[in-house]
Amino acid sequence: MRPFEYYSPRTLSEACNLLAEGEPDSKILAGGTDVLVEMRKSSAWSSKAIVDITRIPSLRGIGESGDWIIIKPLTTHTEVLHSDLVRTHAPLLQTAVSTIGSPQIRNRGTVGGNIMNAAACADTVPPLIALDAEIMLKSTSGERVIALSEFFVKPYVTVARRDEILVEVRFPKLPANARSSFVKLGRRNALSIARLSVAAVVCKDEAGVVTDARIVPGAAFPRWQRVPEAEKLLIGQKPSKELLVEGGKKVSEVMISFTGRRWSTEYKEPVIAVLVRRALEACE
Amino acid sequence: MVGKHKIIGKPERRVDAWGKVTGKAKYAEDYTVGHQLWGKVLRSKYPHAKILSIDTSKASELLGVEAVLTAREIPGSNVFGIVVKNQQILADERVRFLGDGVALVAAKSKEIADHALALIDVQYELLPVVSDPEEALRPGAPLIHGDTNEFVHHKVRKGDVAKGFAEADFTIERKFKTQFVEHAYIEPEAVLAEPAEQGGVKITGSVQNLFSSRRSVAEALGISLNRVQIIQSTLGGSFGGKDEVMTSMCCRAALLAGRTGKPVKMVNTREESMLESYKRHPYVLYYKWGAKKDGTITAMEIRVVADGGAYASMSPFVTWRSVVQATGPYYCENVKTDVYAAYTNNNYTGAMRGFGSPQVDFAIESMMDELAEAVGVTPLEIRMKNGFEGGAVTATGQKLAHTVSLKEVLSKAAQELGFEEKWRRYRDAKAVAKRRGVGLACSYRGVSLGAEGVDAAQTTVSVQTDGSVIVSSGVTDMGQGAQTQMAQITAEVLGISVDRIQFLNTNTSGVADSGPTVASRGTVMGGLAAKNAAEKVRATLLEVGSELTGTPVDALDLADNYLVNERTNERLASFGELTAACFNKGRPMIGLGWHKAPRTSWHEEEGKGDAYFTFVYGANAAEVEVDTETGRVNVIDFVSVHDVGKAINRAMVTGQMCGGVAMGLGYGLLEEFEIEAGIPKQLNFDEYLIPTSMDVPRIKTVIVENEDPAGPFGAKSVGEPTNELAAPAIVNAIYNATGKRVYEIPANLERVFLGHKLTRHDKRGSEQKNAFDAVMVESCKVRGGSE
Ligand SMILES: Cc1cc2nc3c(=O)[nH]c(=O)nc-3n(C[C@H](O)[C@H](O)[C@H](O)COP(=O)(O)OP(=O)(O)OC[C@H]3O[C@@H](n4cnc5c(N)ncnc54)[C@H](O)[C@@H]3O)c2cc1C
Repeated sequence: MRPFEYYSPRTLSEACNLLAEGEPDSKILAGGTDVLVEMRKSSAWSSKAIVDITRIPSLRGIGESGDWIIIKPLTTHTEVLHSDLVRTHAPLLQTAVSTIGSPQIRNRGTVGGNIMNAAACADTVPPLIALDAEIMLKSTSGERVIALSEFFVKPYVTVARRDEILVEVRFPKLPANARSSFVKLGRRNALSIARLSVAAVVCKDEAGVVTDARIVPGAAFPRWQRVPEAEKLLIGQKPSKELLVEGGKKVSEVMISFTGRRWSTEYKEPVIAVLVRRALEACE
Repeated sequence: MVGKHKIIGKPERRVDAWGKVTGKAKYAEDYTVGHQLWGKVLRSKYPHAKILSIDTSKASELLGVEAVLTAREIPGSNVFGIVVKNQQILADERVRFLGDGVALVAAKSKEIADHALALIDVQYELLPVVSDPEEALRPGAPLIHGDTNEFVHHKVRKGDVAKGFAEADFTIERKFKTQFVEHAYIEPEAVLAEPAEQGGVKITGSVQNLFSSRRSVAEALGISLNRVQIIQSTLGGSFGGKDEVMTSMCCRAALLAGRTGKPVKMVNTREESMLESYKRHPYVLYYKWGAKKDGTITAMEIRVVADGGAYASMSPFVTWRSVVQATGPYYCENVKTDVYAAYTNNNYTGAMRGFGSPQVDFAIESMMDELAEAVGVTPLEIRMKNGFEGGAVTATGQKLAHTVSLKEVLSKAAQELGFEEKWRRYRDAKAVAKRRGVGLACSYRGVSLGAEGVDAAQTTVSVQTDGSVIVSSGVTDMGQGAQTQMAQITAEVLGISVDRIQFLNTNTSGVADSGPTVASRGTVMGGLAAKNAAEKVRATLLEVGSELTGTPVDALDLADNYLVNERTNERLASFGELTAACFNKGRPMIGLGWHKAPRTSWHEEEGKGDAYFTFVYGANAAEVEVDTETGRVNVIDFVSVHDVGKAINRAMVTGQMCGGVAMGLGYGLLEEFEIEAGIPKQLNFDEYLIPTSMDVPRIKTVIVENEDPAGPFGAKSVGEPTNELAAPAIVNAIYNATGKRVYEIPANLERVFLGHKLTRHDKRGSEQKNAFDAVMVESCKVRGGSE
């Protein structure tokens, strides 16, 4: 491990200043469950300074504002897991965080870190995109709000500048007629990175006709996104078993249209279709 | 001494428990002394290359660097190896796998040492790489040592297979494959080497087989054995894994200590450990059985190729156990088994819990289920039909003279799980996405080293004047509980409570060379030596007791920390009073215990012999749920039954059984150390997946006790047999659930779903260019990657 400077700002503006004017090659530290892993690998680690944001109180907590739920970036996965607000208004997010790592990782790892690290298997991202989440970034040059679905470029790359801090994640509460789910396939029952995952939200009217459908696969597409081609199949329909199977197949098709046939397609093609179907079934 | 045991068989608290749970136990890395330097190894950049030159001048000039060593500066022998001496402490002319060491640095800090490594300039000329053992045996393959890569060919011959196949109604011919497996001990390799006051060196470390490591250190330094002292620190696991890799670390640290005159500490990171350490052998197994319609097996023809990796290590012994056990505990008059080991540019392979049995057991037990299906009986029925009974003659021609409890363990395992009923029900269940299945596997296993080599051990019992006792042994404790087991045996013989015993960690200068602590021989060998030692002390104590009380010796006993009159149960003196009297009379209160194993024999050319002095029997039954739409397997119930002869400590036996199953589950479902063109892909536990507590089901353990005179109080082995059956039981259960058989383990998502492994076809791994850096960078990028 190479030597580095360590800063521990107590306010957001102090942190923004440090990032804007301090060491240009610096790294924000939240729970550290990604950063510390990287640091050990000297060949992949070049940062010269750490800006530890964990002592900035305004970056913690879960709240609501009208029809919106607001999650501050330092909120840990465990806190999300125990939040009544999330349970009521975004249960799929709770399911997703319950599958992250182990209790120790959930106690340290944060929602902000999960998003900003931008790994293809980040488990909070598919549900947050399905929730139509937006995020707020802040720097000395001001604040900007971006739809989460527009935020990622490719794995480990986002549109955020290095001097920007994620200060807020927010999404509209799910409507009362919405059902949601998160399905994750890993290789073991804990400490398991998603091999594939799917977040789904389905709203129906009283007659059982789908009025809104959102499907977001994880670890499948080159970047996260909803799959409108599959969502459209459902809207205006009363879902039958066959329809859900078809929805799954559509996602699989779209996936291949993006990734092409690769060495892992033989497995992913049928299995993503199954997971989508299961996620949709769980919304029934 | 007759009648009920007071301590044997009880779940006595482990003698090492207190230190471990309070954090007082000192593991190798916890040893720190003044002026200590840090030693680091520069490893190869390529899996196979000629070393053209090594320039250490820049590294030597770095402030804080106290020594830089290459093969040239080794005063004694650079080569070591227990069976074949072909492993080097530092590669001199050639590197043969990515874990080979090329140069050593000792510096004032780890960071300086790391920096110095980067300043060493090594020029290589690349050589062609061979990474597949079957390819390695073909003509024209790159040669790793000498003029052939085939360095082992063991045979077993019995009857006439041609005749056997002619008698058969049908044959079953299958190919199986197993993978490299990492031991995954929680404590990576570590040692502290200190120049000793009277010359020589003192090493404290996480070493499994102290005596073989000591021999190599002495030879490397060019000094006699008595000047090298190796003391075992509390071990954070080994599973067979801290042998050669620790020998080379001991040698390296000792060389650096010798050169600098200062203590040198070396500690591997997890990545270094995974890169350098040896693994369990991958096998390719070709099984051909001939059978009659009633399920009688008329012939078995078996050919196995083991990947030995870059060095011989324990391969000759590991594969010998495979050849002896390759037919399983089943009657067959005509057997032809050939087991080969080949050198490749992969991690070398050596001892790991199971030692050549997990691979063959996977094949045998899969074959057994196929045979059952072919003749239309249940897996239990086919095993009951073909399984050994008392007096059976094995494939190697050995007549089994002990209690052969195969059918007892099998039926217990089946009964505990409700196997027969479930097996039928699941087989006939309708095809839903998530399906249940049950599977069975059993084995017999030779105890201790067998005809592999010299088999003897020492334990010393030293009674103090206050009635406390010190025990030390050449058999080492790696967490498996050897010390507790020997303490219990000592306490039983001396009629004292276990808390009076202090157990010393093994010190090569304090006990006689007792061979390696491997092959599940700790209890049989160390335990009998402890019994022998304690009996000697007991005899002295009783004599003194007789002199003291006027009671004849044969009326005396030692019980509950007292000298007692055996007939009246009267307490005549406390154990402490007795030992004080013994001291005052100038009588020896130390017992030197020795045990040499009974005779075994082996005829390498004829492929026959009395391979082991006794055997143990075990059976496992697994219940799984298979998600047939994703290939995901969950083990939901498990039964493990082992005949251990006698459980010296029931809690520890149960611990071994559960741990063995957990490890076997990883072997069957998850674990795979992948090497492509000599380049390993997983160097840490983010990618090398072992089971978590959430993956291990309830395990019902059944201890069967058919006491065997070959072991102390009838005890035999438990460590390794518990680890060899989970994988085949699980794979058989998957078949019961899905009707599809997995012929290659681990049965991971892709193999279960697709029936084969997914392999990446891109360049990674196939190019040698700076393979070492590539693997280090890749291993951090891939975590969380999108493949
Ligand atoms: C053993 C283990 C298991 C894991 N299992 C899972 C799993 O199952 N699923 C999963 O999704 N992840 C998993 N992870 C990854 C990790 O725990 C999560 O991504 C976690 O949410 C990261 O949060 P953190 O607070 O620890 O981030 P950190 O490591 O502190 O930071 C991660 C990245 O985000 C940046 N960052 C953090 N906060 C901000 C901010 N407010 N503004 C701007 N940039 C910021 C950092 O600079 C860094 O680049 C696992 C990690 C480990 C070590």
